[in-house]
Amino acid sequence: MANIQSTQAFYSLTLEAPSAPTAAVICNAIPGLKASDQQIFEARGQRIYLHRIIEENDRTVIKLQTIAEQDVFGIVRGVAAFRIPGTTMDQLVVSSDSGRVVLLNYDPERNSFKKVHQETFGKSGIRRTVPGQYLASDPRGRCFMLASTEKNKVVYIVNRNSEGGILISSPHEANQWASLTFATCAVDTGWEHPIFAALEVDYTDSDSDPSGDAYAAREKQLVYYTVDLGLNHVVKSWSDTVDYTANMIFGVPGGSDGPSGVLVCCEDRIYYRHDKNNPLCIAIPRRTGPTEDKERKRQIVAGCLHKARGTFFFLLQTEDGDVFKLTMEIQEGTSQPLEMTLKYYETYPVARQIVLSKKGYLYVSAENGNNKLYHIDDLAERPEVEPHNTFSSDGVSSDPQEPITPTYFQPRGLKYTTLAVDSPSSHPLMRTKVDNLTGEDAPQIYAIQGTGNKSVFKTIRHGLDVQEVISSSLGQIPYDNLWSLKHRSSDETHSYLLMSSTYADKTTILSIGDEVETLEDSSFLSNRATVTAQQMGHATLVQVHARGVHSILENGAINEWPSPSHRTIVAASANERQLLLGLSSSELAFFFMGDDGVLNQLEDMPEMSGKVTALAVGRTPRGQQQAKYAVVGCDDCTIRVLSIELDSPLEARSVQALSAVPTSLEVVEMIDPSSKTTVTYVHIGLQSGLYLRAVIDEVTGELGEVRTKFLGAKPTRLFSVSVNEQDSVLACSSRPWLGYNHPQTSLYTLAPLVTGQLEAASNFKSDELDCLCAISDGNLMIFSVPSIEGRLSSSTVDLKYTPRSMSRNPWFPVWYVAQADGNTLSEATKQSLLSSKPSEREEATELEQHIGLSRATGHWASCIQAIDPITKQAVTATIELGDNEAALCCSVVAFESKDWEVYLAVGTGQHLTPGSGKQSSGFVHIYKLLEDGQQMELLHKTPFDFPIYALMAFQGRLAIGVGADVFIYDLGLKKLLRKARGAAVPNQVVSLDHQGHRIICGDVSESLTYLVYKPKHNRLIPFVDDTIQRWTTSMTMLDYETCAGGDKFGNLWVVRCPEQASKESDEDGVGGYIVNERSYLGGAPYRLELRSHFFTNDIPMSLQRTNLVAGGQELLFWSGLQGTMGIFIPFLSREDVDFFSQLEQQLRTEAPPLAGRDHLMYRGYYVPVKGVIDGDLCEQFLNLTYDKKQQIAAECDRSVKEIERKVVEMRTRVAF
Amino acid sequence: MADKLRTQQQLESMQNKFIGTGHADTTRHEWTSNIARDSYSSYQGHVPLLHYMSIGMGMPMEKVRAQCMEKMVLPVGPAPAVEE
Repeated sequence: MANIQSTQAFYSLTLEAPSAPTAAVICNAIPGLKASDQQIFEARGQRIYLHRIIEENDRTVIKLQTIAEQDVFGIVRGVAAFRIPGTTMDQLVVSSDSGRVVLLNYDPERNSFKKVHQETFGKSGIRRTVPGQYLASDPRGRCFMLASTEKNKVVYIVNRNSEGGILISSPHEANQWASLTFATCAVDTGWEHPIFAALEVDYTDSDSDPSGDAYAAREKQLVYYTVDLGLNHVVKSWSDTVDYTANMIFGVPGGSDGPSGVLVCCEDRIYYRHDKNNPLCIAIPRRTGPTEDKERKRQIVAGCLHKARGTFFFLLQTEDGDVFKLTMEIQEGTSQPLEMTLKYYETYPVARQIVLSKKGYLYVSAENGNNKLYHIDDLAERPEVEPHNTFSSDGVSSDPQEPITPTYFQPRGLKYTTLAVDSPSSHPLMRTKVDNLTGEDAPQIYAIQGTGNKSVFKTIRHGLDVQEVISSSLGQIPYDNLWSLKHRSSDETHSYLLMSSTYADKTTILSIGDEVETLEDSSFLSNRATVTAQQMGHATLVQVHARGVHSILENGAINEWPSPSHRTIVAASANERQLLLGLSSSELAFFFMGDDGVLNQLEDMPEMSGKVTALAVGRTPRGQQQAKYAVVGCDDCTIRVLSIELDSPLEARSVQALSAVPTSLEVVEMIDPSSKTTVTYVHIGLQSGLYLRAVIDEVTGELGEVRTKFLGAKPTRLFSVSVNEQDSVLACSSRPWLGYNHPQTSLYTLAPLVTGQLEAASNFKSDELDCLCAISDGNLMIFSVPSIEGRLSSSTVDLKYTPRSMSRNPWFPVWYVAQADGNTLSEATKQSLLSSKPSEREEATELEQHIGLSRATGHWASCIQAIDPITKQAVTATIELGDNEAALCCSVVAFESKDWEVYLAVGTGQHLTPGSGKQSSGFVHIYKLLEDGQQMELLHKTPFDFPIYALMAFQGRLAIGVGADVFIYDLGLKKLLRKARGAAVPNQVVSLDHQGHRIICGDVSESLTYLVYKPKHNRLIPFVDDTIQRWTTSMTMLDYETCAGGDKFGNLWVVRCPEQASKESDEDGVGGYIVNERSYLGGAPYRLELRSHFFTNDIPMSLQRTNLVAGGQELLFWSGLQGTMGIFIPFLSREDVDFFSQLEQQLRTEAPPLAGRDHLMYRGYYVPVKGVIDGDLCEQFLNLTYDKKQQIAAECDRSVKEIERKVVEMRTRVAF
Repeated sequence: MADKLRTQQQLESMQNKFIGTGHADTTRHEWTSNIARDSYSSYQGHVPLLHYMSIGMGMPMEKVRAQCMEKMVLPVGPAPAVEE
């Protein structure tokens, strides 16, 4: 038994991919589309996306649709797109941490990215001398350059050959020792030799000069690198000193389109520079307003160029989010620019990248908060509009030494553009907590997210949003089933809606027209409960009730088939031609409808093994007369597949045993995503709330590929519906679930609908509406499912500032959120600056919501809010903090000394200056909670020498991390009273957790320390710490011995206390071994053991041990700053670990990551992967071609279907 | 002797190729500057880390990135004066 790994292994899965964009570019990547129909190629974390803007003809409905998405298992750093002359499509370039550059094409057939070229130029990893940080491509598509922060630059020349293939040259290096690159861009030279511009600083002199004079005299150079296409090399062709504060450059159109050259964006001003033209300079306008600092200088943080038929302009965004339109006036005849004009355009969220599409849309991939798509209504071309917001470079000296006269503009709301799409994003995701406040069967995820006044408190549920159209009460009768029927099979819309109540033995018939109203005089039976109803044949309406089958022919004649004596009909199912009945005597009765609309009964009535509980016949396949199979479920926990073709009627084909009594069956044909053929699925709902899906073999009728999912505590009932023009299944248990093929991944997805419990559901199609109708809690509800693309639905409550921490009231569904914003004017200061007129104040507040909070260096704005996300869905109380304090953490504490009354403790910092290394102080505020926790009242404040980053309730008292120590405090009348103190960690406690007497402290840079509290002696004794410096951001105890944590570099790890140390720490009394144990290497006596380690490329901000679905196993849920939500599933069996590690290994070699990164190296970026299997990689198996799948399956000694099932089930069993 | 010469040549080529390759007389200042430059470069390359810092400092990422870049010029202050 050599292959025994004694420790627990985890399966890592991403539930929600990060939404924070890294880079974006506009491109024409999809063949066959118009040139103006551009797409957006975007990188987020380790994934690349291709989005397309889809609009209706009248521009009423605009959608941003994700066409393709691919996980590249590498840190994507930059993207570019360019068109090689003579080709029809753009090449997509991705620079990543792989030390390689890849050229990609979009492959419309497989709906994925196809690698065209992969060129290696350096070591992998993010290193300062390996190119990849900067990526610039020639506007004429002849070459592209990659640059590193220091020294190295590499240029690739691309070409096409006569067959249309893409050729790439060997790398041309342009290295400069000891020079730092601040920015690069491509200079548009028309069809002359391509030039790349770079902002560089040489540090040789500053480095060697002890006096510091050389550093003070350092210079920033604008350098041109010319790519000589004839000689095939790169030379430094020109360089000149520019303003030292320059941080960004943009290439100005050249050749026949403009003057060429670059825009150099510096602090407070923008220059135009070129080797052949005179320089120009313009000041970046500053905001005016009562709360604005007049002296604050702005920088450009993002921008884009728009070029069209001889004209061009830039959109440049400042750090406040204000976007300016920069235009240039060019001397006729020459290409000498005479003047630059800046015009205030709009204010958008601060972007990582602004992307302008030729269709007239502006995509803002926001640094924080939702990515937005704006429709451009006006390009602000008329100079007479807002002359006060238009500025010219006339008379501004282009010498950086000369002081510049600042200009001021008036920010306002949106004027030239309108918001078209607000695509929901979740970055920055500050904290999450999984909790069940509403008593639903699955818990919700509560999250704080965003920055500044765009922050929100989010309640996230797994499920699809429904849009309720009508909900009307049905009165006293408890209806339990409904059917919508067409009048004729050729009709487009439904005409009748039948609702049946078994309890009242009654059926109500409604007519569907312009209105839905009760039909009094119909031919349907209303004094019986209906078992099933169906429009059959050409125009026959069939209603099955317990005592017989009632059919209404087209001419109005009524046929009645009475059930045999002493027998009733318990179950029935029909399609257009066939009707199958289950009788109370366990017999089946089968009917076939002829062309005359009359039902003909089959004489043979076979008896089943048990009482029939459910049955289903499949929908008649298109172009055929009859369906092949019916499925019958009996109370002996079996289902049988019967043939119902006329030549072999009711012949049993196969039997499947189940774990419980089947309550509902549906036979639905769906497209199988892998083979793209129609496959007949039988969906099975069980008494126990389980839902199963199996495939019926077309030829033999055997059942196979069974997938199981627990839906809820109630028996599952199934309804075949059509959503988004595809046949789907609605499974109703304690909540409704929709089963459909996902439009993007085309995988079968089962997602709950975010609505109440549904009794029964059916399609509802009238002239105006095409949606669903259902019976829900005594109401008839007509609703639609607007989108089946997302998997999460959320509701939000707006917050005031960047949220830092949240805590829940243990008794009421109320959350408390500590919020603080750095370099922001506090509410009190702002109020004193604002004018006293209420109307102006109101205006300013409204504008602030759009343009963001007023900035002020060194100031902090902070508040604490109580939020009721369930009943009021609003903020119930706000307490602003003053004195430049910033709330950093909060926790609800029940004090034993106050008879376990609950208080809110908030840890703050005063005069914080993060990044400067200056020491600041802090406070702990205690708030009394009033009115069911919805209001807060300050009790007192206790000062501390350090900012407080962590506090928690500990055995009826409050444990606080103060600097490197942990204190235990009790509540006093005027202050907190110190009860115990223990030196815990080397630097700064940033997180705390506990179980029993054991306290875990996370240090800001040196991992975790376990402490034990000895109540008798009132001592805190550290006994285990770690061997690796982990810059802990968050951690949680998985069990008494084990902790899971995340660090700032994006690792997730699980550490465990050695058995010996754990035992010793729990020995009675302080005289025991543990206090006398000698410190080991200057730390605690013992060291933690590493159990698992995994690189995630996102900073974990919250970790929690929880379950996510009803009846699911417990797992480790984590959420990251960039919006990732992921899980670690503990493996239950050794065989699974072996299987998945084998699969992972196969996938690494057979389907290597797209950007050229080695998967194992990537997941072990800082520390080798340990005890974790990458589920995201395993799920890539589902997207492979069939050949690849088979090849891997053969290597693993399994069938393709089996691997697919295992991979899918791993996720669906415990999560979504 | 030839071996020694070759080792010397190899070391020199390494030093030319890879910034930060040390030598027998590497000073504390050289070493710490090199480490600090590596770190500042890494902060810019790892987007989540830059994002984390930008939220903490209340500044846009591009500004934080430019600051990191600027710090790389002289990360640990001027070199100490060499005593003759």
